[in-house]
Order: sequence, then structure tokens, then C-alpha cells
Amino acid sequence: MTRTIPILLCMTAAAILTVVLCTFIGPAGFGIPAAGPGAADIIGAIRLPRVLAAFFVGASLAIAGAAMQALFRNPLADPYILGTSAGGALGASIAIVLLGGFFVPVFAWVGAVVAILIVWSIAGRQGVIPVETLLLTGIAVSFFFSALYSFLIAIAGQNAHQIIFWLMGGFWNASPSDAILSAAVIVPCGLLLFFMGRDLNALSLGEETAAHLGIDAAKARWAVLGGSTMLVAVAVSIAGSIGFIGLVTPHIVRMLLGPDNRVVIPASILAGGIILVLSDTLARTFFSDLPVGIITAFIGAPFFIWLIYQRGVVT
Amino acid sequence: MTGRHSINAENLNAGYDTRDIVRAVSCSFGEGTFTGIIGPNGSGKTTLLKAFSRVIPSSGILELDGKAVAEYTPAELGMALGYVPQDEGRPFSYTVLQVVLMARYARTSRFAALAPADFTRCHRALEETGIAHLKDRSIRTLSGGEWQRVLIARALAQDTRILLLDEPTSHLDLSHQSDILSLMRSLAASGSTIIGVFHDLNMAALYCDRLIMIRNGEVVADDTPARVLTPDKIRDVYGADVVTSLHPATGRTFLMPLDTCGQTIAPDKNRNILVISGGGSGTDLLHFLSRKGYLLSAGILATTDTDYLTAKALDIPCIAVLPFSQIPAHSLEKLRTLLIRADRIVLSAHPVGTGNLPALLALREADPARIIVHLPEGHTFQSCDFAKGAAAAAYSDLCSAGAQCTGSFNGILGQLKKNTNNDQPPKE
Repeated sequence: MTRTIPILLCMTAAAILTVVLCTFIGPAGFGIPAAGPGAADIIGAIRLPRVLAAFFVGASLAIAGAAMQALFRNPLADPYILGTSAGGALGASIAIVLLGGFFVPVFAWVGAVVAILIVWSIAGRQGVIPVETLLLTGIAVSFFFSALYSFLIAIAGQNAHQIIFWLMGGFWNASPSDAILSAAVIVPCGLLLFFMGRDLNALSLGEETAAHLGIDAAKARWAVLGGSTMLVAVAVSIAGSIGFIGLVTPHIVRMLLGPDNRVVIPASILAGGIILVLSDTLARTFFSDLPVGIITAFIGAPFFIWLIYQRGVVT
Repeated sequence: MTGRHSINAENLNAGYDTRDIVRAVSCSFGEGTFTGIIGPNGSGKTTLLKAFSRVIPSSGILELDGKAVAEYTPAELGMALGYVPQDEGRPFSYTVLQVVLMARYARTSRFAALAPADFTRCHRALEETGIAHLKDRSIRTLSGGEWQRVLIARALAQDTRILLLDEPTSHLDLSHQSDILSLMRSLAASGSTIIGVFHDLNMAALYCDRLIMIRNGEVVADDTPARVLTPDKIRDVYGADVVTSLHPATGRTFLMPLDTCGQTIAPDKNRNILVISGGGSGTDLLHFLSRKGYLLSAGILATTDTDYLTAKALDIPCIAVLPFSQIPAHSLEKLRTLLIRADRIVLSAHPVGTGNLPALLALREADPARIIVHLPEGHTFQSCDFAKGAAAAAYSDLCSAGAQCTGSFNGILGQLKKNTNNDQPPKE
């Protein structure tokens, strides 16, 4: 309890430091590139937007993951669980195959939101929906969408490479407008989820429990799902579906600070941002701009297995 | 109407999907009462409780403190009513205190932190349930009983006038059961309305003022424990045979299931047995022989005798006399009639003084070959004698006259299966 504030302050300092340092790291080494007309452009127009976009996307995925895990009372839930990733992938694939790669972010966003809306409308038909129904519907819709984009990959010919790279996720095309867009989404949605922290706490013990504790469980659930969907859909449209950030970050945060979501949500913003900025810097600096999803999964998966066995995360 | 009704339900129907599990329930609960809801598995007890707390939709009239439940905001409901579930999933490692503090959410703005008063209240709830020492433990490391007390503490910390408890003591050991239920009773005494679902009927009878018995979602009895917990109603609703009595120490109704396992059909011979016992010596024997299918009668028993209560509970006809008095002549006459009618007489060695000596002496008139004397190991005729040697002599005389003496129930059974020379052929 008493160490919550110091840890949060340290994380804030670490986040600022990470963003600043990583802006000055690139394939050309550390420091401001040699003076010249291009130097300011590299920092201001390419690296800074990319670092900021990575920070906000990482933060978005991490808080959406924390919220989904609490809502579904399942530490193994991830932000894509309701079909956003598969929906985004389908939208992006359509744009790549039919439009030659224009409007990929727009189509990805639309695909992610459509997937969620389909899940909601199927699962919501009977009034009160148990979260388990929502979860299973999400998994089914994900599989259906992945069948569709796999079909597009199969017939895409030379575009298949582009789709597969998109699926693995990365920030090659990050522009200043991406950084601004992701910031514009995470501020309201982050505040929403932060102030829903106690609702998430109660919901993580069960919807009936939440209702007995005076929480408007139905309204809280839709607010949490709505906010998370916005965050994840925008993240997917900017960077594709980057895995493991949304799943692992909340676990790291809970190990440090405990499971109280009023702390987990703000801490996940910082931790998710730091982890994705570091991963992206690693990807573009040492691995000739590999998709960052490869890095996060390569490090995240073994780490997660270690976590499961060390901490008994799984019930 | 004197006390206000905290909960008033009229013609309440509730269930999952389209199937009603609770049907046409009408009942109300006043302030300062502790009511138990009982009924067999699947009878709708929990559903009724959840209908009261609005987590299951219901139709009909349902009012809390005179206001329709539907008109409450979620937060108002969280301040009016606390609920202790049977169990709750524990996917995350909250500390005990964190879980109990959630009780205060309903009273706090989402934009504010919990106040020191909230912490004080929660610490008190932890004290009241005896888990203050666990406050910083992760809930995932708690035993079932400790977790159940956390859930109770959280409901207490909600500071509500109404508490709904779904089998609140199912995971608790005996001392914690009585601690928690005493706490509930004292809350009721100070004006709270407590409603609990119970499987343990004796605990319900001990602590509740009123029991509501339900079957298939309908109320079948709603009265004091003594009037609800009758053997007839229990057999009817639970399909179990029980004996009930007032407990001598608590004065409350208590009940025991009857061991009807191993019940065998009536044997084909020596079916009518007269058991002579006293001072509790015949209790087990009467149960044993009754279970073996014999048609029993008993005598001569004082109405304060445990054997008498057993005979009444098992519906065994018996010759009863007032305690501490001489056996009246007409009772001895009845005994003589039974001695002649019975196929066999089982005499359980029991304390005999001058008061009941005449009954023992009357046995001399019966055919000794039809008498079986049960003298449990460790007992002697002398230890049963409170008539200056006359009783011991009477016992010994019977044995030397030809009565069979045995120390075990199986020995009695063996004797009952034998024929004697004097047995008449069975009548057609």
C-alpha cells in the first residue's frame, strides 16, 4: 500500500527516460545524427512519432488487457479476446488485396469494430449475458474472421507477404498523426477505465458480487468493453496485432503493485508503453526493422511461462 | 402492523431464462428478525435469496423498506442489503482487507478515495468475524472457512439493515459456526433483518426465530422452528425419517435422522417381541429390533425414561407409568396380557428398585424358554440391583429357570431365530 506511490513515480520517470533515450537511438547509433538538414527531420518527423506511437499503443493494449482480465475474471484473457485482432486483420487484408495497400489503418479499425459489434449482437440477444458466453462468442468470431483473412492470404499472391508482415505488427509507417490519434484515444479511454477501477475490482469477483456491492454491473461492463474496444481498435489500425503486451503487462504490474485495478490501470499505461517502446527500439536498431510482434512474442512467451510456474498465476 | 417490513414479497416468481424456480412466494420479513430458509437441494432457496437481492429478475411485488426493489439505484441497493454468497471465485490475489474494503464502494464516489472511517468499519468487521490477523493475506491462500468469513465480513462492512446469507456456515467448523450465527442473532436483536439459507436444520432451529420451508420453489411451511420441523413435514419435503425433540440443554427443537439403512422385512417367526427395559438400557435395542423388522411392544416405562421417548419416536406401543411412583395394578395387568401375547420377551438388564420390581417379578409367570435376557458386557445383575438383592435374585432366577442370557444384539437375533419346544405351530 505505502509503496504504491513511490513505485508509480519511479515508473513515470522510467517512462519519460525511455521515450527520450529511445528517440535518440537508431541504426546510426546513439546521439543526434550529424548536423545537416536531415537531422531534425529524422528526430522530429520519424523517430519521435514512432516512439510516441509505440508508447501509446503499448499503453492501450496493456490497460485493455488489464480490463479484460478483470472483466472476464480470467488472468489469461488478452485484449484481442473478443475478435478485434482477427477483425482488424481481415480489414487490413481487404485493403491490401483490393486497394493495393491504401487505407489499411481505416479498414483495420473498421474490421476490429465490426468484429466486436458482431460478438455483442450475437451474445447480447438474450438480455443478461454471462461473460462466459461473451468470451466463447468472441473466440468463435475470431476463428471465423481468421478463416476469411487466411483465405485472402491464400489468394493474395505477392501481396501475401505484406499481409503477413502486417499481422505480426510494427511501426514502420508510424506518422505524427498516428501518435496524435493514439494519444487522443488513450486520454479519454484511459481516464474512463481508471475511474472504473473499483467497478473492475468488484466485477473481477463476479457480476453478482459486483451488483451486491452496489455496482451497476451491466453498465460497468459495457463501459469497460466500449473503452477497451476503442483502445484496441485504434492500436490495431496503427500497428497491426502485436501480441503478448496486453497479456503479460498486467501480470507484471500486479506482481509489483497487487491486483487493485485503481492502481493496475495507471501502472499498465506506463509499463505497457515502456515495454513496447523498448521492444520497438530493439527491433529497428538491431534487427533491421523486424516486425516488433516477433520481439514481443519471442521475449513475452518464455517470460509468461516462467510467470505461470513461478507465481501460480493460473487458478 | 407494529414493526416495519424490511422485505415484503407477494406472489413472487423468479428464475433463470423462462423457467420459474421460485413460484408464487408471498412472505414478509420484519425488522429485528432472523429467519431461516430450508428445503431440499434444488428447491429454490438460493434463487429466492437472489430474487430478493435483485440479481435474478422476478415478477410480482417485491419491496424493501416499503419501496419497490426496482426503484432502487444499484448503489442504494448496495447500502440497503448485504449478501453473503455460498462461495466466490478468487482469480486474483487481492488481500483480505482489499476485498472487505469493496463493501464501502456503494457509499463512496468513484472520484474519491475511501475515507479513514471506511477503513475503521472494515477493520471492525474483520474483528467481528475473527479474521483480523488475516487482513494482509492473499485471498488465494485462504482455506474455505477463512474465505467464507471474509465474505461475511464484507457483507457486515456494507452496514446494511438487511443481510441475506446463503449457507453462511457451510465451510465453518463447529465453534466458528456458532460464533457467526450468534453474531447474526445479536444483529437481529439490534434491529437488523437477517435471512439465511440453511442445510443444517439443527443450526437453523437453534438460531432462527422462524423457518420457511420450501419445496419446488413454493412455500410449504412458514412458522416457528418447532412447528416447521415436525417428522411428518420432514418426511414429506425431504423424504427422510427423523425424530424430533426439545433439546434438554437449549430448549430448542432438534432432530436426528433415523438410521433406516439395513431395514429388513419382518421375519416369518417370533415376530411379536415384548421388550422390557428401563433407564435408557433399551434405546439401542429398540432401534435395532425395529430395524430388523420385528413388531415391538415395550414396558413398563416411566414417561421421563429415554426408552419411553424412543418407543414414542418409533411408534412402539408401550405401557407407560408416571415417574417415581409405584406401578399401578392395571399396568401390571396389561403387562401380563402382553407377556402371554408376545412370541418372545427380551429383558434388557436395567436398574431395578422397589418401584419397578413388581414388573420384573411378573416375568416369573411367563414361559422362561421364551425369555431372552440381554446383559451387556461389563454389567452384572448386581450392578442393576437397587432393591437390596431382590432384583439380582429375580434376574438370576429367570436364567436358572431356562431363560437364555446373551451379551450381544446378534446373540439376541440368534435366539429369536430358534424354536422352542413349547412354540405353537403358526396359526393359519
